[in-house]
Amino acid sequence: MKTFIGIDIGSLATKIVLLSDGKMLDHRTERSTYDFKRIGHNLFDDLLEKNNLNKDDVFLMSTGYGRNTIDIADDRVTEITAHAKGTQYFFPDVHSVIDIGGQDSKAIVISKKTGNVVDFQMNDKCAAGTGRFLEVMAHALEVPIDQFGALALRSNKSASISSTCTVFAESEVISLFARGASKEEIASGIHRSIARRVAGMSKRIGVGPKLVFCGGVALNPAVKKYLEDELGYEVEIPEFPQLTGAIGAALIAEANNSH
Amino acid sequence: MDDSNLLSDFTFFLKEKKQEGIKIIAYLAHDNIPEELIDAAGFFPLRLIFGGSDELMDASHDYLPPSTCAFAQSCIGLFSIKPNYYKFLELVDYIIVSNHCVSDICVSEIISKYFNIPRLNFYVSYTKNENSLKYFKLELQDFRNQLEATLGKKISDEDIHNSILKFNNFKKKLLEINELETTGSEKLKLIHKSMLFGPDFLHDLENLIQKFKDTPQPVSTTSKDVLLTGCSIFINDNLIDLIEEGGGNIVFFDTWIGNHYYSQIIEDNHIDIEKDPLDLLVLKFKNNIYSDHSVPDFLKQKVSFIQKYSENYKKNKGRKLGVINHIIKFCDHISLMSSFLKDSLQEKGIQVLNLERDYSRANRGQLSTRIEAYLEMMK
Ligand code: SF4
Repeated sequence: MKTFIGIDIGSLATKIVLLSDGKMLDHRTERSTYDFKRIGHNLFDDLLEKNNLNKDDVFLMSTGYGRNTIDIADDRVTEITAHAKGTQYFFPDVHSVIDIGGQDSKAIVISKKTGNVVDFQMNDKCAAGTGRFLEVMAHALEVPIDQFGALALRSNKSASISSTCTVFAESEVISLFARGASKEEIASGIHRSIARRVAGMSKRIGVGPKLVFCGGVALNPAVKKYLEDELGYEVEIPEFPQLTGAIGAALIAEANNSH
Repeated sequence: MDDSNLLSDFTFFLKEKKQEGIKIIAYLAHDNIPEELIDAAGFFPLRLIFGGSDELMDASHDYLPPSTCAFAQSCIGLFSIKPNYYKFLELVDYIIVSNHCVSDICVSEIISKYFNIPRLNFYVSYTKNENSLKYFKLELQDFRNQLEATLGKKISDEDIHNSILKFNNFKKKLLEINELETTGSEKLKLIHKSMLFGPDFLHDLENLIQKFKDTPQPVSTTSKDVLLTGCSIFINDNLIDLIEEGGGNIVFFDTWIGNHYYSQIIEDNHIDIEKDPLDLLVLKFKNNIYSDHSVPDFLKQKVSFIQKYSENYKKNKGRKLGVINHIIKFCDHISLMSSFLKDSLQEKGIQVLNLERDYSRANRGQLSTRIEAYLEMMK
């Protein structure tokens, strides 16, 4: 039986999964660095080696921001289509997807009938509403990124961050400090602002319950909580929120090659 | 699309015009400027239909806030730094200040004031009732007077009639582009060249169209057919490449650079040399139902036009048609109504991609993703 590999080359992380007969068998994640192609090749070779496979045994589908950079891919698909498929691996009846990655955020609405994308929206090119925004703000507050969400949830008050531009928001944070706001309050305000922005963008295309939140930022508990506050319903997080794009790419490869 | 050859040919062409003593009258891309009057006066109407880049947009920020539409910013950038292929802009004698939109007014005012280009004025009304048509005729008369003052002599009715006929014939030929069997980028090349060179290009256009008819270039059956609406794709803009690289093909340009321009034809049975030729231009203005602006209820008309076009397309070609609504960032009248347009068409089962962008290189990757994801959705 043929094996399928999906590789999702994002701006911050590259994710790769091995799939056969609709089941994920193995996966890897690594920072993308500036050399998308090298990281992609390394992950691919490593996955083949550890699973005793040859290039000819597998079909490689690339997705993500750097999907065109990997020359060994047999085909490519956008991350929109890939995330829509990949979230169905974990939640077959998903209606909507919010993906917040390092460089962009997306909202996707999926047809109940066909499981295909019926509408989507992406943030524009600025960093507001993305993982990058959180990184810059965590750095300004001198908090490790993996503790940032927990810090925000410790506060029951959120400082108001009105700037949507990352550069202006950074100066706003500094002035909030100067006015005596606590780190927790500011962290909470930052997380709320990203949740508000992404929820606003998502509502415009009619997202609804059975909404799956994926991408690296889905690991941040404060963004999840505030997204739920903004949307007014619970959002689901898959077991591997960072892998949905790569899984989706592999599933699409399998579906395309099974007839 | 790399249009450097087109631009260098055009520089040569414009220099020749200048050597013949012909004055160059420039104006922003859009509707309703009576190019027939400019032509009848013996001047050359130069439509500013050039796309932008980061450099051009940046160069405009001494004059315009960055929240002005990216096209307007680029126009100012062009006059400000006159990059190599645009040196012909030094040949411009007059700029028309008009009011197609707020950006249009500001840009033409700025070009005139800061780049020392004398202005001519032509303002259109936004309605089409009896009074506004009367007003439109008065503006035409006033514009004719301005041209005559510049020329130092009267423009005859006969010359205006001849120019109307000349542009009519040219546009009738251009209409045939809609039906050609070739890629969107080939069609767009023809449209760009025609709208830049004007009726002087008619003979070449006839030959090129005939060539396409004799040897059709069928587009790959795997590509997705798309109607482009909203803002135009201007010269030197790579948007069409992104669409084609992503697997799409524009089959119809429902934009000003496209059908909106060349579908504005005065029917032959209205042309009567005994009558005031300005009335014919009023009639053309009145009958303009396609354009995005200065047309009451334009959105309703646009929705029903696209719906009909898409139904016929499906019937005749047996293929689904997608719609990309191209929104140049901060082009208010296209962007403000984009949700309405999308919702109205989606209610009728037509999937729409609202594609907002400016001319910066940084968002090229994201643009490709949006386009490709939309085309994947059409599968
Ligand atoms: S705002 Fe729109 S219509 Fe006006 S100049 Fe800009 S692109 Fe053209």
